[in-house]
Amino acid sequence: MSLAAAFPPPGLLLAGAVAAAAASLWLLLPGNALGGDRRIRWIGAALGVAALAGLALSGRRLGGLGEEGVFLVVSGVAVVSAAATIVSRSPVYAAIWFALALAGVAGVLLVLGAQFLGVATIVVYAGAILVMFLFVLMLAQPAGLAPYDRVSNEPLLSALAGAVLLGLLTLSIGRLSGEPPACCQVPSRTAAVTGGTTDAAPAAADPGDPFATDHVARLGAELFGRHLLAVEAAGVLLLVALVGSIAMVSRGASVEDPSADGRATA
Amino acid sequence: MTLLPLVHDGLIVGAILFALGLVGILARRNLIVMFLCAELMLQGIAVSLVAWSRQHGDWGGQMLVIFVLTVAACEAAIALVIVLQAFARTGRLDAAAWQSLRESNLPRVIDHGLPAPDTVAPRFPRLTPAGVLPEQDEDEVLHREHV
Repeated sequence: MSLAAAFPPPGLLLAGAVAAAAASLWLLLPGNALGGDRRIRWIGAALGVAALAGLALSGRRLGGLGEEGVFLVVSGVAVVSAAATIVSRSPVYAAIWFALALAGVAGVLLVLGAQFLGVATIVVYAGAILVMFLFVLMLAQPAGLAPYDRVSNEPLLSALAGAVLLGLLTLSIGRLSGEPPACCQVPSRTAAVTGGTTDAAPAAADPGDPFATDHVARLGAELFGRHLLAVEAAGVLLLVALVGSIAMVSRGASVEDPSADGRATA
Repeated sequence: MTLLPLVHDGLIVGAILFALGLVGILARRNLIVMFLCAELMLQGIAVSLVAWSRQHGDWGGQMLVIFVLTVAACEAAIALVIVLQAFARTGRLDAAAWQSLRESNLPRVIDHGLPAPDTVAPRFPRLTPAGVLPEQDEDEVLHREHV
């Protein structure tokens, strides 16, 4: 209690942390009013670390090991690399920081009990989408830092907008009760277990322990049982995106080549 | 039923990621970096959904994240094609290169006071010279500076 009394009240701490986060992002973003040399960026990074610490403290507690400690580490990795993604001058570095942010997010998903999604995030995002990004960057990036990578649109206003959104979200999360609205109550876990309906469809009804060994089997049963139509729709969507992107690329190729005929750039 | 502590923290992390992605989309000018920021916002949403899934002991949130992943893959394919086409037409990855598409009552974006490029050259480790200098491939020299 004495430790908690030594800190300012949570609301004040939260407001200070969010303001520090906005100031930090403004200092770090390219092309702010202060010129953005290296010293300014270091000040911004220090402010960002202070903001993170303030955010962590304005939650309820300081410590806890095990699940909580792992969660703090992976979420810190995710948040720091996400911030580095948006303030990196070089887009290639931005993409690589984004890969690290994905690793952090995958860790967060693992701790929250979504093992399959954590692995899928790494495979689909870091393995496929990010490589595509890097490929396009290598294809399209001019030599050196382009002028448009050295300026931002309204860095101060953007950082303030993000800070306001984050403050509002944090406040409303703090007031959540965790109770689903009355319209969509799902039968709780204990009711399903004691209700004697375990013989009907135990796998699809309830994830139960998120760290169960048959996690993927249950997830598959739910995905291809209750959500089968959505899976079909997602397959159609993938096909349409594939055909559409190939069509756009090949049409662009004929426009792009001015040597083919004179009206190419029309 | 109160909010589980871990779920509370997960929702906060999701909110932070979403807000960071929003700042990036608003502030950055590079089309590809803007698109990375959109993906960052999607990641924030995914963390929030999984946290709610944990809170309610229900698969719904995780199912939604699977479909979010699918849509994000489609979106990446389409958007990268559009970015490449835009680059082929203007030679720049700049969002402001397309400002002729803006509303007619909005002012034109003009860059003034562009900060000078970083004058500090990157420092690479120096190795002790040994043997003869190998011939550098012209092609490789041309492409290396693109990174």
